[in-house]
Amino acid sequence: MKPLGSVRLGWLCCLLFALDTMLPLSLLNAAQNKPMLVELKNGETFNGHLVNCDNFMNITLREVYQTNSEGDRFWKLKECYIRGSTIKYLRVPDALLDAVKEEQNRARDAGRGARGSFVSGGGNRGRGAISRGSRLPSLFCV
Amino acid sequence: MSSLQGYVDRRVLLILQDGRVIVGVMAGFDQKSNVVLSDSKERIYSIDEGVEEIPLGLYLVKGDMIVLIGELDDAVEQAVDLATIHAEPIPPIRY
Repeated sequence: MKPLGSVRLGWLCCLLFALDTMLPLSLLNAAQNKPMLVELKNGETFNGHLVNCDNFMNITLREVYQTNSEGDRFWKLKECYIRGSTIKYLRVPDALLDAVKEEQNRARDAGRGARGSFVSGGGNRGRGAISRGSRLPSLFCV
Repeated sequence: MSSLQGYVDRRVLLILQDGRVIVGVMAGFDQKSNVVLSDSKERIYSIDEGVEEIPLGLYLVKGDMIVLIGELDDAVEQAVDLATIHAEPIPPIRY
């Protein structure tokens, strides 16, 4: 009983997040093919274009300039894979913020149009796989 | 349940494990406390010069690295002239 409850709570949290805040991972997803700077926990930085990312924040970059933590040595890499857990922060283009917000609004409006009010739809959440399955794609695909 | 929801769209100050201080508007966060900051700036403190602010733009900080998040008081922020503030930088965490 208890695990199920926490799973539901998790879903509810996801839903609440998706309602009005931007998830860091949706921002990252939207950053595909965009330039970015990644700093690792050890201070090394990687400048390149995002090829792909996953939910652990593992990423692949292409056309990369790597800098050591002192900032005095550079390497050029054609492509590299960075494990998400080693990342300190990512710096992404400012324009992405508006792009992601707009996309979220569009997805939400599309959800409203398809199944009536978003809020009343939330009341049925969790009772059946159908309502859950139909809701998620528009929310989480960026 | 503790949440960062109350900080969304507010100006916040982050302190990272490496001692960096970053201010910005919290645009979003997730369950792992990863945080998106828009219009962010790094504040560099030093003893012999005033505080220097370096613009960073849109930033995604991993939750692992965050030590502290606090909301900034806009009135206080505007009343303070950072250039007159001299302070020791925060040292990085040592293990």
